[in-house]
Amino acid sequence: MTEYLIRRTLQSVLVLLLITIVTFLLIHAAPGGPKTIFLSPNLSPEVMEQQAENMGLNDPLPVQYFRWLGDLTQGDFGYTFKNNLPVGDLVWPTLGNTMILMGSAWFLALVIAIPWGIYNSTREYGFSDQLASFIAYIGFAMPTFWFGIILQELFALKWDLLPLSDMYSMGKEGDLGDLVLHLILPVTVLTLGFLAGYVKYSRSSMLEVLDQDYIRTARAKGLGERKVVFRHALRNALIPIITILGLDLPILVAGAALTESVFNWPGMGRLFLQMATQREYSVLMAITLIIAVFVIIGNLIADLLYAIVDPRVKLGRKGGAGA
Amino acid sequence: MKKPNKLMLCLSIMALAGSVLAGCSNGNNTGGNNAPADNAGNNKAANAPANNAPAEEPATPDANTPVDGGELVVSSFSDIVSINPIFVGDTASGDIDYLVNARLLDLDRAGNVVAEEWSLAAELPQVSEDGLTYTIKLKPEAKWSDGQPLTADDIVYTFDTIRNPEAASLAISNFDKIESVTKVDAQTVTIKLKQVYSPFLYSLTTSIVPAHVLKDVPAKELAKHPFGSDPAKTVTSGPWNWTEWKNGQYLTMEANPNYWGPKPHIQKITYKIYADQNTEVQALIKGDVDMTSAIPLPLLDTVKANENINVILAPGPQYEYLGFNFKDDNFPGKVSPFKGMKTRQAIATALNRQGMVDNILKGTGTPLNAPFLPGSWSDPGDKATTYSYDVEKAKALLAEDGWVAGKDGILAKDGQRFSFELQYNAGNSRREQVAAVIQQNLADVGIEVKPKGIDFAAWIDQNVTPGKYEAILLSWSLSNPDPASNESIFSSKYFPPTGQNTGWYKNEKLDQLWIDGTLTADQSKRKEIYGEVGKEISTDLPYVFLYQYGLPEAQNKKIKYAEEDKPESTLGYGYFFHVNKWWVAP
Repeated sequence: MTEYLIRRTLQSVLVLLLITIVTFLLIHAAPGGPKTIFLSPNLSPEVMEQQAENMGLNDPLPVQYFRWLGDLTQGDFGYTFKNNLPVGDLVWPTLGNTMILMGSAWFLALVIAIPWGIYNSTREYGFSDQLASFIAYIGFAMPTFWFGIILQELFALKWDLLPLSDMYSMGKEGDLGDLVLHLILPVTVLTLGFLAGYVKYSRSSMLEVLDQDYIRTARAKGLGERKVVFRHALRNALIPIITILGLDLPILVAGAALTESVFNWPGMGRLFLQMATQREYSVLMAITLIIAVFVIIGNLIADLLYAIVDPRVKLGRKGGAGA
Repeated sequence: MKKPNKLMLCLSIMALAGSVLAGCSNGNNTGGNNAPADNAGNNKAANAPANNAPAEEPATPDANTPVDGGELVVSSFSDIVSINPIFVGDTASGDIDYLVNARLLDLDRAGNVVAEEWSLAAELPQVSEDGLTYTIKLKPEAKWSDGQPLTADDIVYTFDTIRNPEAASLAISNFDKIESVTKVDAQTVTIKLKQVYSPFLYSLTTSIVPAHVLKDVPAKELAKHPFGSDPAKTVTSGPWNWTEWKNGQYLTMEANPNYWGPKPHIQKITYKIYADQNTEVQALIKGDVDMTSAIPLPLLDTVKANENINVILAPGPQYEYLGFNFKDDNFPGKVSPFKGMKTRQAIATALNRQGMVDNILKGTGTPLNAPFLPGSWSDPGDKATTYSYDVEKAKALLAEDGWVAGKDGILAKDGQRFSFELQYNAGNSRREQVAAVIQQNLADVGIEVKPKGIDFAAWIDQNVTPGKYEAILLSWSLSNPDPASNESIFSSKYFPPTGQNTGWYKNEKLDQLWIDGTLTADQSKRKEIYGEVGKEISTDLPYVFLYQYGLPEAQNKKIKYAEEDKPESTLGYGYFFHVNKWWVAP
């Protein structure tokens, strides 16, 4: 187990390094870098060059990359080109904000979806099951930002019950009650998005298990239905769901850029959009890296949980990655 | 002399962002935001010598009596970069600079340079007989927000820094005609120019930076100095102080206790950043925000329907144009079809510009015929040649210029079909619609147009700047009311890749007139010269000047001001015109 963890960690570092190189190159390959975006294009080329020089943008790409990497090893994301702000100061608060938003929605979705999916699997095509399908279709088909706009229109404007946007009202930073009020609409939108998938997954995964021979055996030996479902079936049914959850973990930090924009939530997805339009490379790199770290952690957690839920999985030289 | 005609860069970037945000914002944002420009974004009101200021202590709560205190919340689609006046290059930073700093001189409603009660200069500069020396007198009471006096040292430092190439100031083109800046006494500065350069007066409508804070910073490191990005370290000279910057979310400003000028009525200003324009407008409707300088057109009717909101429809200081390319190499047949003046006039005549304004701009624009700020002193008015929509006349002009309809109905001359590609930035829904109308209008007279939307950054890099296109749909800002800046767009001295005359237009008469315009000190003679320019350019048509436009501005009705202090859309930062005299109804 320990050896497995060490090996995975080393692999991850390598993967992260590759990701930073690819991202760095891709960002720099996009037309119109920070210097063209900073200035009016009709400004004299001399001024533009001097600006680029002062911002350190004229150094060769490898130099820029290794400077960035060097800072990173010191736990420092560097500074923005345009106004020399510490990138960490921009990124870390938004990471927390995104996790509050996405975490609430994700948690809510799980709490609703898994029991509901299990229930539906025991009453296939019943009213509850049909309703879940209906909601899933809506959740999949409707652009979340559009749903957000509808909710804003009704709850914030027409009935004036809830705040329209932002994380706190002006002057109320840190007020928990105010935060909850601001969470309601965006969390509703995001929960619906998560819910659609999770209900379906847990239902179908459960159905698959309930069809297995050992379940029939369990029933045949006279076990109560409750015991069959929760003790015998659920544990196996959870395995694929865990995979999905692990893979979804990065979404919690990447955020939903559109939903965050519509609700003006100061999260990382919204920051990424803003900085992409400004070609603020250092911030884009930092966010990409953070998301990459979460992708890797998500996968790792999924693998580890496998071993816990499914005794057949042995994490070792041969078992690991595949399973 | 690259002058600050600013391509609508920031705006178009917003348009890009808008389009990323999917349909909700339509990418149609150009709005009342004017291009960054130097500092020409200014204000000042009419000629009223503002000595007899409005009663400041209202005895009775009358709706027309200013009330002190209160908060103004302004929304924005983008965050600031730096409010250091030396580096301000985007609309958001310019907005904040405008609110927290006093300017040396200001603009009045008609775009004339004036010394206001709140300008740092006590009076308009005295210009020597030969037009080369400007003497500026500062108000002795002027001081910085940290209590230090604002003196000639600050002026000398600011101008010397801006014109130092190592600082890489965006405003350098405004100051590179300066030979020397000299302190005479604590309140007096003389500026010597290398040559007569009459638009220089407009360069003086700039904010000043504090020498006592920055003088020891090497020019190359100024952009990295926290002055301009850290509120605690940004010393300012205007009615409000910058108190907080919550990155990506909002900025706050509070009345400056050390302000030397007429005290503003509004106590606090919050500049709130929205990532989505639809949300921004809804926040205005809900009352979270009091003022928005750019309402996307699809949302205009919703905003208008709200009884608490005033909508200001007057177009802003920018115009859109159809730009021709005169360089033969850019065309497959190695001949530019736009070379005949009658051909260009025919295109202008074939376009239904009023229809574009009415239908696409929903009335928030005005067709124009020359690249001058309408209503300003350089507006050629009747001298300009006008083109009204007339298909038959357009066909006749094309025939006179030798174009004959081919078998496919498309005109041809010397074996070349009259067909061209019209480029614009993808995602800008206004330009998409206008391009479609141009395509239709010109098809009616036998010209084939192939509209093509391209990603903005790539387009500017690969087509516009190097002058490699057949025709383009783009905008210029007129936020500097002095017309001299047009030289760098239309003079043949400014061909690509370094110049902005990206269509390779050459007209020797105009080339000379532009030079005369900057070398003439006498204002009435200048007016004559630019009148001649207006006539020539509207006849010869390097572009088809389509319309002056701008997204509507909107304000909550609780924002109050006297008639002479109302916003002036046609000026840069005109949505804050005289904001120091506004008040907010309790």
